[in-house]
Amino acid sequence: MYQDPQYIRNFSIIAHIDHGKSTLSDRVLELTGTVASRDMQEQLLDSMDIERERGITIKSQAVRVDYTADDGKTYQFNLIDTPGHVDFTYEVSRSLAACEGAVLVVDATQGVEAQTVANAMLAMNADLEIIPLINKIDLPAADPERVRAEIEDGLALPADDAVLASGKTGVGVHDMLESVVYNIPAPEGNQNAPLRALIFDSYFDPHRGVVALIRVVDGKISKGDRVRMVNTGTEVLVNEVGCRRPAETPTPHLSVGEVGYLVTGLKDVRQVKVGDTITALKGGVDEPLPGYREAKPMVFTGLFPIDGDQYEPLKEALEKLSLNDPALVWEPEKSHALGFGFRVGFLGLLHMEVIKERLEREFGLDLLATAPSVEYHVFKKGGEMVSLHSPQEMPDASEIDHIEEPYLKAKVLIPPDYVGAVMELATSRRGIFINMNYLSQTTVELLWEIPLSELIMDFFDKLKSNTKGYASLDYEFGDYKTSDLMKLDILLSGKPIDALSFIVHKDKAYDRGRVLCEKLKEIIPRQMFEVPIQAAVGSRVLARQTVKAMRKDVLAKCYGGDITRNRKLLEKQKAGKKRMKDIGKV
Amino acid sequence: MQFEPYKALYLHIPFCVRKCAYCDFESCAVARDDARIDQYVDELVLEIRRASKAGLLGSLQTVYIGGGTPSHIGLARLSKLLYTLSLSMHLEPEIECTMEANPESLDARMVRDIWALGVNRLSIGVQSFDDEVLSILGRPHGAKAAREAVRMAHERFENVSVDLMCGIPGQSDESFAESVRVAVELGVTHVSVYPLTIEEGTPFAQRVESGVMPEPDDDVEARHMLLAAEILEAAGFHRYEVASYARPGFESRHNTAYWTGVPYLGLGRGATTMRQTADRRERIKDGEVLEVLDAAEMLAEDLMLAMRMSRGFSIEDAEDAALVFDQLPEVLGDLMADDLVELRDRRFRPTTRGWLCGNQLYARLLALA
Repeated sequence: MYQDPQYIRNFSIIAHIDHGKSTLSDRVLELTGTVASRDMQEQLLDSMDIERERGITIKSQAVRVDYTADDGKTYQFNLIDTPGHVDFTYEVSRSLAACEGAVLVVDATQGVEAQTVANAMLAMNADLEIIPLINKIDLPAADPERVRAEIEDGLALPADDAVLASGKTGVGVHDMLESVVYNIPAPEGNQNAPLRALIFDSYFDPHRGVVALIRVVDGKISKGDRVRMVNTGTEVLVNEVGCRRPAETPTPHLSVGEVGYLVTGLKDVRQVKVGDTITALKGGVDEPLPGYREAKPMVFTGLFPIDGDQYEPLKEALEKLSLNDPALVWEPEKSHALGFGFRVGFLGLLHMEVIKERLEREFGLDLLATAPSVEYHVFKKGGEMVSLHSPQEMPDASEIDHIEEPYLKAKVLIPPDYVGAVMELATSRRGIFINMNYLSQTTVELLWEIPLSELIMDFFDKLKSNTKGYASLDYEFGDYKTSDLMKLDILLSGKPIDALSFIVHKDKAYDRGRVLCEKLKEIIPRQMFEVPIQAAVGSRVLARQTVKAMRKDVLAKCYGGDITRNRKLLEKQKAGKKRMKDIGKV
Repeated sequence: MQFEPYKALYLHIPFCVRKCAYCDFESCAVARDDARIDQYVDELVLEIRRASKAGLLGSLQTVYIGGGTPSHIGLARLSKLLYTLSLSMHLEPEIECTMEANPESLDARMVRDIWALGVNRLSIGVQSFDDEVLSILGRPHGAKAAREAVRMAHERFENVSVDLMCGIPGQSDESFAESVRVAVELGVTHVSVYPLTIEEGTPFAQRVESGVMPEPDDDVEARHMLLAAEILEAAGFHRYEVASYARPGFESRHNTAYWTGVPYLGLGRGATTMRQTADRRERIKDGEVLEVLDAAEMLAEDLMLAMRMSRGFSIEDAEDAALVFDQLPEVLGDLMADDLVELRDRRFRPTTRGWLCGNQLYARLLALA
């Protein structure tokens, strides 16, 4: 018996961060009786600790609920929760490709924000039917009419029928479910065609191997089938298929239009890539579903264990995290100053922070991260191009013809009052102004091309503080452009410290060098002798500070009980000094 | 195992009228009339008697009653302790017997009676003669009481020491210098000078962490330590240890025991005992062995501790030690090159820089073992 696609609705809930997507998802589970309300844990779909703490979704989820509509028919709803951050735009697009429709959540107090626009665009690009939903109408500051106008003006979406809801109180959730039934189309597909299923997420389960979340487009997939991934060519036996309610429930098969999970038993999550197409091993298709892309790291940083003994544990931790995170790439790196570590590539800054936090928290590692960097393209005089992930690999200046750096297309939404402040900030970050659109009377959209390296500094924080928190930022990868870039070295006692080198634009070199010297002066403990700190490009010193020689360093009290304690302090100090010695050759 | 006889006895009194904001010592604020103090004194009496019976007190040269605040427990209990002590060992005039006292709990009667019972050195926890600084420190006494305490002490005691603290945020150079001068004018025979250290878990640590109080400034501390040396040496004191200045003949023999590898017995809560044989040294606290040093570690420690004192160690000591540590000549060379150590009158001694940056010096000597 196959599920009639007519009674399937696959949809996603999309929103700007904090607009209440997860709470709404919880209400849906509650209202459809999928999860008893007493068992509800807030934001049930976000299962990882860090996700829950930060209120953001990193991995996708798919939950099946049965909804008996007002028409008396029972529908299979597959609710797909997508990652909620620009770092994961590609993952979002694949999740959306598994849907026919989307509920676009807009906060009734905040209105349309950058990610609302970005997500709506993605949904439109994916040809999804969009149901606008104005959330948090229970709040005193809610202004649904203004928000309705913003949705119409800013997104060009009809919002007359926008659902008014509150995830908190549950008001309007029933309206939303009815709207899903009537407005979102049923999936189309050919039950008799060869299998085609889209992988929209995958993760590693230590007991069962890689588990993929899939959407069947054509045909069906059953336990015991032999299948092949079209892009990677991986072949595998289907160990189990099923759906989540949200507990995993095995089913004999998944058929046209259905969403569910697939247990592969594979050991490497890289064999089951998001966006890939699953087809039958025999008589399958050769043409993959559109939209597949390799995950590409954008931001790189060196991660070094503070305690050298933690190198192996760090490696193991990275291996473990990679099992579940195909976007995480890393290779060993050696620094004279920091010893052995890894150069790690991330999708973006949030991804980087989350990974670093997980390494420290879940694996108990103490890590030192070097300044985040981007992938530069260095063109040598002979025409050869070198991809540079670490400033340490920079060829000698005499060999370089020119350097290109990645630019992002950044979209900033702000109230008109802050246009000046944002212009100033973006210009100071070497932004190239593209366009400015008035989306409504209260919202201006500014489009810029900004070097990624500038964005990963503190652009977002500055943007928020310069606009009193009103600005929202969204970005996507643009292209590589030639820039006047140079490697800035930091020297302690005249010796360059490899781990502190960074690549910087010519116009910024002086300022960055000066600021870094000042910062280092504060954090480098005093030594027996003066330690000059220099920032230099080649042999030209741009900035200098001096850590004065130590004036006083003595444990003055040393009586009967103090001797043991002092000895321990002195030994600890010695260990700390050894590390400084490594860094500063002092 | 046959241990060398103890030459020094330390008795700990872990009670104070209140806990100062910088203090992480083994002590707690307990009211003077609290029965817990009586109980503690009784136990201490018992410990002394047992040690005496075990023959541990026969070779003592010095006794030190420290705290906490010994004067806080009052004359009756102190009398009981001192009486026990005099029954348990030969508390004769040539035995240096020090008691710590705080200005707020020292009175003329106490001065007379403890002197009569054998105490012959009084160490007064003054810390500063500046009311403002005393209040920053959270001391339970003012400058006037501090001066008065020193005057009272001199009614009986020739040998009076005061503790002074420096490098306290909010304490000016002049305030500190003035405190040193007042001590000199009051006629004390011994001064200890400590830069403030921020100890974990103290109110000061919290204040520093929350940014209410700046961290002690190394430059200021260095300046104060130099000021103290200058004023006290001009007044006829000599610095015999990093933090200790004395008029000739008034160096603390008890403290010197700590720095010269002499075994000491500590009685009372939190007191440390050091005992040793020719090739093994142990430190014990509250029945727990804190550390055990082998012969080489003992030697390195002796060299380190010697460098806390102006006498340092002799060329002959160095030659003997070099038989164990063949890298010693090189280390001494480095230390002299770094201006931490100098060779004067055939002894290796700390330089001014060696006083100020002692940890650099001590760490390198400890690292020999």
